[in-house]
Amino acid sequence: MKLLKSSSLALLVSLSATWLAPAVSQAASLLNVSYDVAREFYKDVNPAFAQDWKTRTGETVTIQQSHGGSSKQVRSVIDGLAADVVTMNQALDIDALANAGLIPADWSSRLPEHSAPTTSTILFIVRKGNPKGIKDWDDLVRSGVSVVIPNPKTAGNGRYSYLAAWGYALKKNGGDQGKAREFVQKLFANVPVLDTGGRGATTTFAQRAIGDVLLTFESEVTLMLREFGSDNLEVVVPSVSILAENPVVWVDKVVKRKGTEKLAKAYLEFLYTPAVQEIAVKHHLRPRDPALLAKHSDEFKPIPMFTIEEIAGSWSEAQKVHFSDGGLFDQIYERK
Amino acid sequence: MKTVSSSIGAILLAGTFLSGTPAAWADSRDDEIRQLRDQIQQLDQKLRVLERKQEIRDEEAASKANAAVKVSASDKGFTLASGDAANSLRLRALLQADSRWFFGDHVSNNDAFLLRRARLIFEGGFNKIYEYQLVPEFGGTSGNGTLTLLDANINVALKPGLQIRFGRFREPVGLEQLQSDSVAFFAERSIVSQFVPNRDVGVQVAGNVLNGTLSYAVGVFNGVADGANNANNSDTNDDKDVAARLFSHPFKNTEGALSGLGIGIAGSVGHQGSGAGATPALTSGYRTDAQQTWFSYRSTTVAAGGTWRLSPQAYYYYGPLGVMGEYVISSVEAANGTNRRTVRNKAWQLSAGYVLTGEDSGYKGVTPKSNFSLESGTWGAFEIVGRIGQGKIGDDAFAGGSLSLANPNAAAKKVSTYGVGLNWYLSRAVRASADVFHADFDYAAGAAPVRTSVIADDENALVTRLQLLF
Repeated sequence: MKLLKSSSLALLVSLSATWLAPAVSQAASLLNVSYDVAREFYKDVNPAFAQDWKTRTGETVTIQQSHGGSSKQVRSVIDGLAADVVTMNQALDIDALANAGLIPADWSSRLPEHSAPTTSTILFIVRKGNPKGIKDWDDLVRSGVSVVIPNPKTAGNGRYSYLAAWGYALKKNGGDQGKAREFVQKLFANVPVLDTGGRGATTTFAQRAIGDVLLTFESEVTLMLREFGSDNLEVVVPSVSILAENPVVWVDKVVKRKGTEKLAKAYLEFLYTPAVQEIAVKHHLRPRDPALLAKHSDEFKPIPMFTIEEIAGSWSEAQKVHFSDGGLFDQIYERK
Repeated sequence: MKTVSSSIGAILLAGTFLSGTPAAWADSRDDEIRQLRDQIQQLDQKLRVLERKQEIRDEEAASKANAAVKVSASDKGFTLASGDAANSLRLRALLQADSRWFFGDHVSNNDAFLLRRARLIFEGGFNKIYEYQLVPEFGGTSGNGTLTLLDANINVALKPGLQIRFGRFREPVGLEQLQSDSVAFFAERSIVSQFVPNRDVGVQVAGNVLNGTLSYAVGVFNGVADGANNANNSDTNDDKDVAARLFSHPFKNTEGALSGLGIGIAGSVGHQGSGAGATPALTSGYRTDAQQTWFSYRSTTVAAGGTWRLSPQAYYYYGPLGVMGEYVISSVEAANGTNRRTVRNKAWQLSAGYVLTGEDSGYKGVTPKSNFSLESGTWGAFEIVGRIGQGKIGDDAFAGGSLSLANPNAAAKKVSTYGVGLNWYLSRAVRASADVFHADFDYAAGAAPVRTSVIADDENALVTRLQLLF
């Protein structure tokens, strides 16, 4: 009976091990926390990576996705959501992770192209036949034109649209910030509803039939045409727009704790491969590969684009000046 | 219709002459229609914007409500939970006010009112995986002013089929013992539960598998004597007890009369004590249904080796009918000085209940369809219950003369118990009960119990209880 000590413990350990085995194997998984409209893109990327990883290492990997408003998603990660990788549509959200100490400040230099494997830009969607004759940014501030843009303080989509308008006015007026301010003020005077996210803005425009023009990502445009019908909507490509980079990052604190650092890095590096760059094209995200971009120039019109750095210095500067509480947006937007 | 058409035509013709040329009249009308159309479109947009804004406000309100801390109060307890329900604290309580009355006995100071149980139950979870339970006991033997911690454990609920529990909780052996005493047929558990371990400190892996038709549990514990609680982390040696249980509901997922059938087997094996002079680690006594001790070892007898228990068990619930049966063999090596023996004790019980008011009977108790209310003329639920049982001590307990492990004049060799009772469920939270118990005793050969001992006379007792549980 003395054996009971060792045998009983062995029994429990072996039983636990038997049952824990599936749980441990489940740990070979990644959680990708991403923004709202990237759902379909990563739905295609994930099985491709799983297959590639299996071929290279023989290991099975499961990738879970979580999507929502970009700022909310980042807030969840800061509050403890164990994201191995975070894939967003603007550096500002990733900077928030760095400010929270979850990743290093120089995160953008860890992968090529500022850690942004794809890009997009802001285009216009109008009603079929373009009844208000909207062709460029100046048309958006005309009296009687109703514009749908999500709230720049809560939606990446809205921030890019706001900064695209700001950049347009700034460049048109030789860098005159007063004129740029006047322009965005007029623009947002034409915005009847402020949705909190890109999805909501799409609903407002396409489903609730509000407004004459919707500003949204190029990648969202084709999805909208597919979902709501090209016989109802059409795209307007403005003369100039903003370069929207889609940065990706592994969350150091999480991957170190979970032991998934190697896997998370491999997943993000995989986004730069020709296979994923082609998937990006399929989802109307601009690939980084210039040859591939040229190959699909019919879809990705060559638009002159300015960067955040050119028009606002940096994302953090843009946030501070334009979108912080009491910032420029709060000053120019009159709640209706 | 011809008359109407020609009348309209005449009016239009007259209007044309009155208002100018036909072309001018048409232009004016088109402008007017265009203006009206624009106005309608503007109004339509305004209406749509207002509706959308309200929709967004509703969505935001719903989102805030989901994120807000949720507080709920019901007859199942009071709960504080995070908006996503991942983190929670539930406060419950159990209070049992009993009385015991013995008839025809010669034991003095036996009839009494008592606070049988007075517990606060704190339970909840974190991150949807980690569950906890803390149960301080203020009543029972603690009623004399001593506070004991009954249950204190953390359960890591990885999935329904894999749950790992650490801390103090019930060993997975006795069917009746594992059932909450607040919902059992009788105020007091049967004699069988005296022969299986109660709460102990250890770690257990458990879960429900095969679509819930099979539950398993296996754990390693410090080891306790029959019917004992390990209330102070005690352990008599470095060896550990292993307890395991398999319980099946083979027809659980069917609609038939057998869906409420459960059948299983449980057992434990271990090593207690380290020879003469060690902590007894033996039962402090087997008690009757009315909680009088009918068997105990001599104070000089200690556990001195291996123990094991085996318990086939089953229950059956069908509508208002509930039946539970259990058998147990409990073997222990014990010594009194040089007299060292293995004692094999056995017990069984068969109990049944029938809810007269038609509610379903179940392992988790009875929920009345209506509460007792003089105003509305409803009475709650009533249940009648019956039970028979027997406990038998192994012959070796009484062998060895003056060094026998048990004193045959103070400890019976066998007890047969009978009980009937009535439960009144005044609400889900309040239950009143009255149980009548009878026990008769058989003695070891040559035994002559003193007149005032518990086992000298048959036991006839009435046990009443008013219980609050939420």
